[in-house]
Amino acid sequence: MSRRYDAVVVGGGHNGLICAAYLARAGRKVLVVERRHLLGGSAVTEELYPGFKFSVCSYVVSLFRPSIIRDLELPRHGMEILPLETAFTPLPGDRGLCRWADAERSRREISRFSARDAEIYPEFSLTMTRAAQLVRDVIDSPAPDPLSWDPRELLRLLRLGRKLRSGGSETMHLNLKLLTMSAVDFLDMWFESDVLKAPMSVSGIIGTYQGVRSPGTAYVLLHHYMGEIDGAFRSWGYSKGGTGGVSLACARAAEGFGAEIRTEATVERVQLRNGRATGVVLAGGEEIEARTVVSSCDPRLTFFGLVGEEHLDPEFTAQIQRYKLRGSSGKVNLAVDRLPRFFGREGSAHLRGDVAIAPGIDYLERAFDDAKYGAFSRRPYINVVIPSIMDPSVAPPGKHIISMFVQYAPYHLAEGAESWPDQREAFGDAVVETLAEYCPGLEESILFRQVLTPWDLEQEYGLTEGNIFQGELSLEQLLFQRPAAGWSRYRTPVRSLWMCGSGTHPGGGIMGAPGQLAAAALLRSGEL
Amino acid sequence: MSERYDAVVIGAGPNGLAAAALLAKRGRKTMVVERREMVGGLAASEEFHPGYRTSGVLHDTSGLRPWVVAALELDKHGLVRRPDPPPVLVPQREGPGLVLWRDPQRAAEELAALSPGAPERYADYRAFVARLDPVFQRLTAGPPPDLFDPGAAGLLSLGRPAFALRRLGRRRFAEVLRVMPTCVADWLGERFESELLKAALAAPAIWSTYTGPRSAGSTTNLLLAETTAGTPVAGGARGLVAALERAAAAHGVEILTSSPVDQLRVRDGRVVGVRLGSGERIEAPAVLASCDPKRLFLRHLPPELLTHRLGRDVANLRTRGTAAKIDLALSAYPEFACRPGLVAESIRTGESLEEQERAFDAVKYRRFSERPILDVQVPTVEASGPTSELAPTGHHVFSILVHFAPYRLDVDGAAGSDPAADPERGWSEEQRERLYQAVMRVLAGYAPGIEGLVVGRRVLTPRDFESQYGVTGGHLHHGEHAIDQLLVRPTPETARYRTPYPGLYLCGSGSHPGGGLTCAPGVLGARAALAG
Repeated sequence: MSRRYDAVVVGGGHNGLICAAYLARAGRKVLVVERRHLLGGSAVTEELYPGFKFSVCSYVVSLFRPSIIRDLELPRHGMEILPLETAFTPLPGDRGLCRWADAERSRREISRFSARDAEIYPEFSLTMTRAAQLVRDVIDSPAPDPLSWDPRELLRLLRLGRKLRSGGSETMHLNLKLLTMSAVDFLDMWFESDVLKAPMSVSGIIGTYQGVRSPGTAYVLLHHYMGEIDGAFRSWGYSKGGTGGVSLACARAAEGFGAEIRTEATVERVQLRNGRATGVVLAGGEEIEARTVVSSCDPRLTFFGLVGEEHLDPEFTAQIQRYKLRGSSGKVNLAVDRLPRFFGREGSAHLRGDVAIAPGIDYLERAFDDAKYGAFSRRPYINVVIPSIMDPSVAPPGKHIISMFVQYAPYHLAEGAESWPDQREAFGDAVVETLAEYCPGLEESILFRQVLTPWDLEQEYGLTEGNIFQGELSLEQLLFQRPAAGWSRYRTPVRSLWMCGSGTHPGGGIMGAPGQLAAAALLRSGEL
Repeated sequence: MSERYDAVVIGAGPNGLAAAALLAKRGRKTMVVERREMVGGLAASEEFHPGYRTSGVLHDTSGLRPWVVAALELDKHGLVRRPDPPPVLVPQREGPGLVLWRDPQRAAEELAALSPGAPERYADYRAFVARLDPVFQRLTAGPPPDLFDPGAAGLLSLGRPAFALRRLGRRRFAEVLRVMPTCVADWLGERFESELLKAALAAPAIWSTYTGPRSAGSTTNLLLAETTAGTPVAGGARGLVAALERAAAAHGVEILTSSPVDQLRVRDGRVVGVRLGSGERIEAPAVLASCDPKRLFLRHLPPELLTHRLGRDVANLRTRGTAAKIDLALSAYPEFACRPGLVAESIRTGESLEEQERAFDAVKYRRFSERPILDVQVPTVEASGPTSELAPTGHHVFSILVHFAPYRLDVDGAAGSDPAADPERGWSEEQRERLYQAVMRVLAGYAPGIEGLVVGRRVLTPRDFESQYGVTGGHLHHGEHAIDQLLVRPTPETARYRTPYPGLYLCGSGSHPGGGLTCAPGVLGARAALAG
């Protein structure tokens, strides 16, 4: 092909598409190339079983930036988010704990376990909502870099510092604790009931190789309070028609601005001339020329798979080698012929959100212990959603989809990652058995089952080591250090090669911020 | 008592003695009140079996700060620092084990036997630590930076350490920022291949904490431990306490033992002295507390004066004791099978990070480790000095800190019960015996026949630390060393030794820079009181 693009974006996941849309919106000539036959990356909808449309990997939308929805007019392109309405924690043989949008109803539920906790709960929510403002500031702009001597960076740091200090010593102390404590220790300062604390604590471990008692996991608790700012009970929601709907809306927006999109186009490598990226070479040898290449793949795949170590200096190579991607979660998707029934709960009102199999702190910690020593959790934490309740379009009438996010399923098994195919079904069995302890009869209702291990996520979706966030969200891999110190501004040591995936600031999840911030940085750089 | 003092110090542990010595040296008439019948606190040497004395519950004196020695002129009062730290034996059940020297040159031969690249990697590690050394020393040699003061002074106190770190050079600064929030398993994993060596280096990062080698932030503890380690004091904890006692006495400090404090005396919002358990009152315009913050504010402060905020912050301090102490009286030095004939002064067990991690796992479920990791000091090996008085000639004392053992022990999976409310539960005689047996199994795995040498023992659990030494939760550092509790120690309002109550100062391990036999909080607390 002789046509030359301003930018070729590698990967048609939501971040790649968002980045492409912003570039095209600014008048640049953009091409997105996607390896698979359909768009979305991990934010994808697939009809795996006739009539059932699965959000195969990513299953809820979290923290999606409102500014992107506005800028790209995503609702016009078919995006519709149905907010999660409930947070249900079932218990074996007990009706469990369900938290609702209605505060009074939540209070009554919590007081079954602890009257004191029920009283404190609203105060906790308020405190966290206030603290969440900070998160918003952090994820909506590039991270200040304390390593740089550039006065502009120092100014940014000072400004952030002032903001941190402006809340007074109590708020600062709270923030310090949030950033460094474990989720459990943090919640212990407020609550006494295990049944309340356990499902709250898990937000700190999603997609990480940490346990709820691991220091540094408290901070993610804030993510659950981000939605309050926008006036919703929870910031998490289903995308109507499946998670792929978000990606498709982004794709339509991009195309609307003039971007081209090609599927089944596997990038073999980034083409380099005199140390500068000049395009990509596809499998089959086709070369696409572009002034810049923007990779939405994870850093390990980008630099070692598409660029090649021989083109990088040893220090940067070492940085990317050290970058931790250890995937720790899997997915089990079920098609069922009836709604699961949990102890003591009728109907489906309590299922209009997510269901956390997290009956206690020790349970969660034991699940992590299994993973630490190289095995999947015999009794895992499971985040269950049944999107077909709120969105009947994804399953045939009366039938349902059960989507289960499962932790822990460590990529590095004691027997080696390549033994995952042999352990896949045993893992799937453990997950179904676990859920069946809370809703007896589950097994008989299953029409179809898909089990995705971290190994499968790597093979099928190109996520190195099956890490759903393209790299662990631990403090040393966030902010100015994502993916590597000195390279947090979407630029790379390879000239004209940029990054825009979850492996860049502010990280993973369906929020779109990396794609948006990368496009802004690239447009500002003058390279286009 | 009619006599008036300028200052009363609560607690005659190393920090209390250091604070009192400094106050008296500056001409303040100072009284120290101590609950126990002897001075020394957690560093006190005690006869635990006829003819055998311990070397303190805390036995590592290498953290004693040089500027403390200078400020109190401890060398004039008999304190001698040994020229070198003794090497550490890390025994193996199968394999030769490791004798690890701090000095990379002396360590090289042993390390080369472990893996070919190990000596260079270790030298590189030591060089990195050595570069950080002055910065961390400086950070812990004064009051902590003031995170909360919005004014210029506060900003300056923050800017100074930031600038010191940046002056390390971009690469080292970046490395410090990167590794501090990580876990030691990952960081040491980047640097070393040998499991034995990684475990040997990781051990001090997790001792007495609520973390395993895979817990995020443990690298901060490792760097703090490494950069503040000097050489031990001759005579160990006993030598340190003796020098502090002499310094205090030389300046006229009075010490009242067997005198537990009942309550602080407060007049018009000012702390004006203490009331002892005996009812006796001691008046002084300044009270310095070296006891832990929970004990001070939740037990000794008149409850009606405790503000909501301080009460909440203090209650939220994490003080979960995780270590136990076993002292053994031995009729001879045991033979370590991996090193026949070696008489080591310092021994660390734990052959791999996984073994350490599994030992930590137990405490999360309120159990003690079936295979604990041990920090063993043998004070009787030291050739000269007062340690020779610890045991009959040829006999030895094994001073063992045992990790991990919880404060709240669950037996048979029963829910955690408050041992204070229910003393029959948890750490019963039977459980203590089981802990002892677990420790002996570990030791006997390396030194077969050691059981036959035991002539006496003392077993202390976190619960005993609380009841006998008065440390809340049995926490030997008066509060966990975790990043949030190191940067703000113990609470925002009291982080710089002053308290919301004029006349009341903190000077114990619950304050910056934390626990261990450093005497730093004692001196810094006394300085704050002198300035106030």
